[in-house]
Amino acid sequence: MINADRWTGLFFLVFSLYVCFESWRLGLGSYFRPGPGFFPFYSSLLLGILALSLILFTFHGNLEKGESWANLGNILLVCLAMLGFALLLDWLGFLSTAFLFICFLLYVVERRGWLFSVGAAFLISVACYAAFELWLKAHLPAGILGR
Amino acid sequence: MEAIAGILQGFAVALTPKSLAFCFVGVLSGTLVGVLPGIGPAAAISLLLPSVLRADPASSLIMLAGLYYGAMYGGSTTSILVNIPGEAASVVTCFDGYQMARQGRAGPALGISAFGSFIAGTVGVVGLMFLAPLLASFALLFGAPEYFSLMVMSMTLVTYLSHGSQLKALMMAALGLILGCIGLDAVTAKPRFTYDILVLRDGIGIVPVVMGLFGISEVLLNVGATMDREILKNKIKGLLPSRQDWRDSAMPIARGSLLGFFLGVLPGLGPVVATFLSYGLEKRFSKHPEKFGTGMIEGVAGPEACNNAVATGNFVPMLSLGIPANAIMAILLGALTIYGIQPGPLLIKEHPNIFWGLVASMYVGNVMLLILNLPLIPLWVQVLKVPYGILYPIILLFCLIGSYSLNNNVGDVIIMWIFGVVGFLMKKFQLEPAPLVLALVLGPMLEDNLRQSLIISGGSFFIFFNRPLAVTFLLVSLCAVLFPLFRLRPLLARIAG
Repeated sequence: MINADRWTGLFFLVFSLYVCFESWRLGLGSYFRPGPGFFPFYSSLLLGILALSLILFTFHGNLEKGESWANLGNILLVCLAMLGFALLLDWLGFLSTAFLFICFLLYVVERRGWLFSVGAAFLISVACYAAFELWLKAHLPAGILGR
Repeated sequence: MEAIAGILQGFAVALTPKSLAFCFVGVLSGTLVGVLPGIGPAAAISLLLPSVLRADPASSLIMLAGLYYGAMYGGSTTSILVNIPGEAASVVTCFDGYQMARQGRAGPALGISAFGSFIAGTVGVVGLMFLAPLLASFALLFGAPEYFSLMVMSMTLVTYLSHGSQLKALMMAALGLILGCIGLDAVTAKPRFTYDILVLRDGIGIVPVVMGLFGISEVLLNVGATMDREILKNKIKGLLPSRQDWRDSAMPIARGSLLGFFLGVLPGLGPVVATFLSYGLEKRFSKHPEKFGTGMIEGVAGPEACNNAVATGNFVPMLSLGIPANAIMAILLGALTIYGIQPGPLLIKEHPNIFWGLVASMYVGNVMLLILNLPLIPLWVQVLKVPYGILYPIILLFCLIGSYSLNNNVGDVIIMWIFGVVGFLMKKFQLEPAPLVLALVLGPMLEDNLRQSLIISGGSFFIFFNRPLAVTFLLVSLCAVLFPLFRLRPLLARIAG
């Protein structure tokens, strides 16, 4: 058990109550003819019971320190870069988005030189385009630059 | 006799130029994945899945399976040369493999792990060839209640054998069951938890989920982490083990192969636990157990044979019963269902080309790996020198392209991103992703069989207790849940008192 387990348990308890309510709204049906909410209702009930047990155990066991959260800034930047990629992909097209994505990760997160970052981003994005679009026919979006 | 005819039919599939090419790419990528720390076989399979799904089912299964057992071969290279396991199943190899390398015996260590892996892989394939059809014909007797109970048993065993807290593993399984409900209800076609989001109407796809939970989260955990990769500068020579090395390793390889295969057949046991058991077994059988950890070749041969045999054994319940033994098998099962193929007892009868083609390709793949592995070691050493800071942007880009190209839809990329962040948080909060993935894959089947059972019995749960097989499976599940409670007895006593 770790310190954070109490909060993890609480989160899943609230989540399970919400799913129970939504499942009940979907209709539980009967044991003879189970409705669409039957299975999610009992699954969330199980989750709720387990989450409650987890909370109870944290009050009576020896809690250990959890994992360290070092380097969170860089992790956040990587997450934002991926989200940015997803949001820009259709509009800007694959080549430009991939170039910006790699450039950002190398220059901003990894703190490589700008010449290296731009060069590597160009090579990687073109190589991926050739492999996925031209060879594997993945139909990557062309975006505004392709129109 | 049936198996012999089947395997001949399989070789007709596996030896076509197309299958050979897919097998080659699979085992080569697997070895690379095994060599590279920071990306495991589950992440790599999920990463390649969208591209591979464009091929026919037999070819894609041949390639993905090759990747899985190929990773077991590759994992030993980094364990021996860098003292960093390329993937979790090679942790044990570090103990004696790295010590052997430090004593200038990297060659025999790498050699015996390659030969041991080859022998174990082949033993595993022979076992798969005979056991899977036998188990499948037995499973034809199963009805909905037996299937429901078997799936419950599989999930509880996975949680019982999980590395951390079983309570948290069970929570993840329950979460997976809930996530598996998203989409249109199979009976009434009523949308469940879709909130008018189009991408959720067909349910949460297994591929973006596993790419997020295993691929993205693994990268996020390693971003900025300093990986001490001090590669041995000694020249690697004498890859062929000496006669004495063979004498010392023959029995450990034989024991590792058999132990690995039978543990691999059990649901929930991945290669990690099995390799530790094999190491312990070798230590027990050894005349010099005190020397283990100082460079004993038995400590390399046994576990390396074992992890390959587990990888092959894992295919038995997946192909014959449709029950994945671990998260990787759950991904492969998900891949087959995308093709509209239901793994299970009827797979061998209805799709003999896929089953026997896969089995035969494993023989071919193991030979390829033996030929590839030893000459390519200098290349893998060079690959290890690529800094992770350059490698991970490429891995992430592959994941992003892979998830987009599934349906040419940004929605899948967003789902992968969400599960990547969730997977990262889960690892930080010590919650395991494997039970979640297993439950996500089994959830819809579990629900379907539960509903069918209840309709057959007129709404009575006694149907699960009237049938001997169903009740046996449920008893095993109950034991898997209750056993850890006995370990918690002192804690419960304190709560009560």
